[in-house]
Amino acid sequence: MLNIIDTSFDNCIKCTVCTTRCPVAEVNPDYPGPKQAGPDGERLRIKNPALYDEALKHCTNCKRCEVVCPSGVQVGTVIQLAKARHDGFKKGPREFILSHTDMMGSLSASTAPVVNIATQLKPVKKLLDKVLGIDQRQTLPKYTYQTFRRWFKQQKAQQTRFDRQVSFFHGCFTNYNDPTVGKHLVAVLNAMNIGVTLLKKEKCCGVPLIANGFFDKARKNAQLNMGQFADTLADSECVLATEPSCAMTLRDEYPEVLHVDNHAIRERILFAAAFITREFAKGNKPGMKPLNLRVAYHSPCHLIKQGGVIHTMELLNSIPGLDVMMLDQKCCGMSGTYGFKKENYQTSRNIGQGVFDQIEALNVDYVVTDCQSCKMQVEMNTAHKVMHPLTLMAQSLI
Amino acid sequence: MKYDVIVIGGGLAGLTGAIRCAEAGLKTVVVSAGESALAFASGAIDVFGIEKDNALVEFPFAAIRHLPSMHPYQKVGTGSLQQALTFFTGQMAAAGIPLNNHGQQNHGRLTALGAIRPAWLSQEGTVSLPLRTSTEDLRRVAIINIAGFRDFQPALMAAGMQQQPGFCEVEFILADIKTETLNINTRNAYELRSLELSRTLKRDLFSQPNGMNILSSALQKAAGNADLVVIPSVLAVEGGNDLIRQLETLTGLRICEVATLPPSLPGMRMASALKQRFRQLGGMFLEGDQVLSGCFEEHQLRSLKTRLNPDMPISASHYILATGSFFSQGLASDRHHMTEPVFGLDVETSQSRDQWSDSRFMDGNQHNFSHFGINTNEQLNPYRNGQKINNLYCAGAVLNGFNPVQEASSGGVAISTGWFAANRIIATMPQAEETC
Repeated sequence: MLNIIDTSFDNCIKCTVCTTRCPVAEVNPDYPGPKQAGPDGERLRIKNPALYDEALKHCTNCKRCEVVCPSGVQVGTVIQLAKARHDGFKKGPREFILSHTDMMGSLSASTAPVVNIATQLKPVKKLLDKVLGIDQRQTLPKYTYQTFRRWFKQQKAQQTRFDRQVSFFHGCFTNYNDPTVGKHLVAVLNAMNIGVTLLKKEKCCGVPLIANGFFDKARKNAQLNMGQFADTLADSECVLATEPSCAMTLRDEYPEVLHVDNHAIRERILFAAAFITREFAKGNKPGMKPLNLRVAYHSPCHLIKQGGVIHTMELLNSIPGLDVMMLDQKCCGMSGTYGFKKENYQTSRNIGQGVFDQIEALNVDYVVTDCQSCKMQVEMNTAHKVMHPLTLMAQSLI
Repeated sequence: MKYDVIVIGGGLAGLTGAIRCAEAGLKTVVVSAGESALAFASGAIDVFGIEKDNALVEFPFAAIRHLPSMHPYQKVGTGSLQQALTFFTGQMAAAGIPLNNHGQQNHGRLTALGAIRPAWLSQEGTVSLPLRTSTEDLRRVAIINIAGFRDFQPALMAAGMQQQPGFCEVEFILADIKTETLNINTRNAYELRSLELSRTLKRDLFSQPNGMNILSSALQKAAGNADLVVIPSVLAVEGGNDLIRQLETLTGLRICEVATLPPSLPGMRMASALKQRFRQLGGMFLEGDQVLSGCFEEHQLRSLKTRLNPDMPISASHYILATGSFFSQGLASDRHHMTEPVFGLDVETSQSRDQWSDSRFMDGNQHNFSHFGINTNEQLNPYRNGQKINNLYCAGAVLNGFNPVQEASSGGVAISTGWFAANRIIATMPQAEETC
């Protein structure tokens, strides 16, 4: 069989816009930028795999190159697939630990109090830094003793009382690290007379696995999740995800990067704010009391990529009394597991410096963002507390 | 989701209209499918620079009175054009980029190929030349590059300038500044684009306390006693004009930065300033989404379907279509037809197919297709299947009736039609605050 790769990168007209807007190329001269790493390099790699450039490892898969491309080239996907094809990922124990978020979560949650103390201890952080290369200057996310699924078990009976049902893909972070956003989604949807149900079984969406090169595992997860979606959609209207990267992966990366077909149900997999604002438009708006706060909104890369910023802004603007200003739409630099790696620490901070500077210069009560990874980065690098849009909305419910 | 105004296209026309609407307090969204052509443009604004017979225009506002009635300038009128340019200059100044003009008169702007193009507004890092150059004060021109940067060729530029009547007597000094002199690590210099060079300079040179002094003495050494020093625009995107001014103070030389092959830093500077200004005024800039189609009812555009949210139409009371020309995909063509791909608006092609292009275009003849675009009424409302669409306005290069490149009018048309469309909208919206 002829092995013909996707040549849609031929639409590239070499305008270099992608490289001008690449957050990594801006601060790291070792990365040649998406134009060369993507369409240009692809032509060479097709001829001879030996022409593969190791520098592709610097790409964070933020997708900004695709957002700004005037010719519709999927630059980021070309780079990810090339990395997979040419064994361009370093897949050591550190990458395994950082990317297998659901496995690590289920191991750690039951012993959360111990793990949380341990991972904040200086000697342990030093050890993780030396042995694994997880930068000791980073604060690892804490695990929750009571997982979101465990909490939800107590809500189940109450949820079935609603006529309308939606499924919630909670993702690893909400389940194992911080269930707050999940709880607030349930509160908001209930206030809109909609019940929440969970998938019988849920695996990590795959975003950290793709970023660390574990494509087979990501594909397996995708297939399992797709089966679960098919089951749950028999009794619920749609599947919602609160994490922008999960939503992007389930909707776009499954077919484009993992080649897992989702077209039959793709339009029923939604970013939570998109579903909520669609309900608003139909007149289903919960009663809300004023929140007299001034907040700055940071838009995550993967939310920009999927066109979700408009929904979050609509949601925030619907909260009475909330004064929202939009930050310049720059990357915070964390990119999930990327910023935790020792060799990326400085690059990650340098990428985010523009965001941190803009935030520090503002007089706001909170920073707001949808993405837990952005939240970690902003909280570690500024004096501001970061809130999720659904948390603000839950606080405003009557 | 409901807005007051949705602007389709985030280039010069779209952003000017969007800023005007946002400033008037209207809830405004810009949907932009990828970076606009501003990133490839010079960062100067032309109004009207070249007559049909290729003669240079000294006084643009007087010259446009004689244009045919279908020209966008005749629809907006000279008064609106001047108000729009004043508005634009004010917005750019508010965003930190003052623009220079010479009253009613055009000036000359140098290109990287040594041509002199007529312009009306220029950034402070460039030197405005008289349109018909007299060499009286220009005896020696130095064109200085940073060694290894290939998107700017001093010899090519000098050769181009020598063909200009005013420059045949001028002595040219061509030189490179070595990267070792500046102490910058360019790794593989042959891969450098203007933006990458600016980042390298920022990291390795301007971060040093004596960085500017190193550059200025290198420039002084290379330029000798030149009356004018031309350098490629590679110093910085933001704050680039200030760096040139500082260099002039340090060296005592007259320095002009010139936009290079894309990416063009002066163009990017203008684009990012406009986007920032729009956001400051409370506008929402949606990048990376694309309007696929519209829903029309009773001569009105009711809602838009976008690629990323096809199930969730967005709607507004008024819309501005500023999607650009063929390069920006605001207009599309096949062998027999010319279309407007978003809404299928009526496109004016006027001539028969074999007259669309001119095989002798290198002789200064014009391609007729450059004049093609959307046909509108006097208020810039387009037609769809012959029916006027009342709440949709068209602005910029998507319009018919002008040749932006040949006339050197792209900037003025974009700004004036974007501003004019916004003003038409503001006039119908009771909630809009009259500010200008």
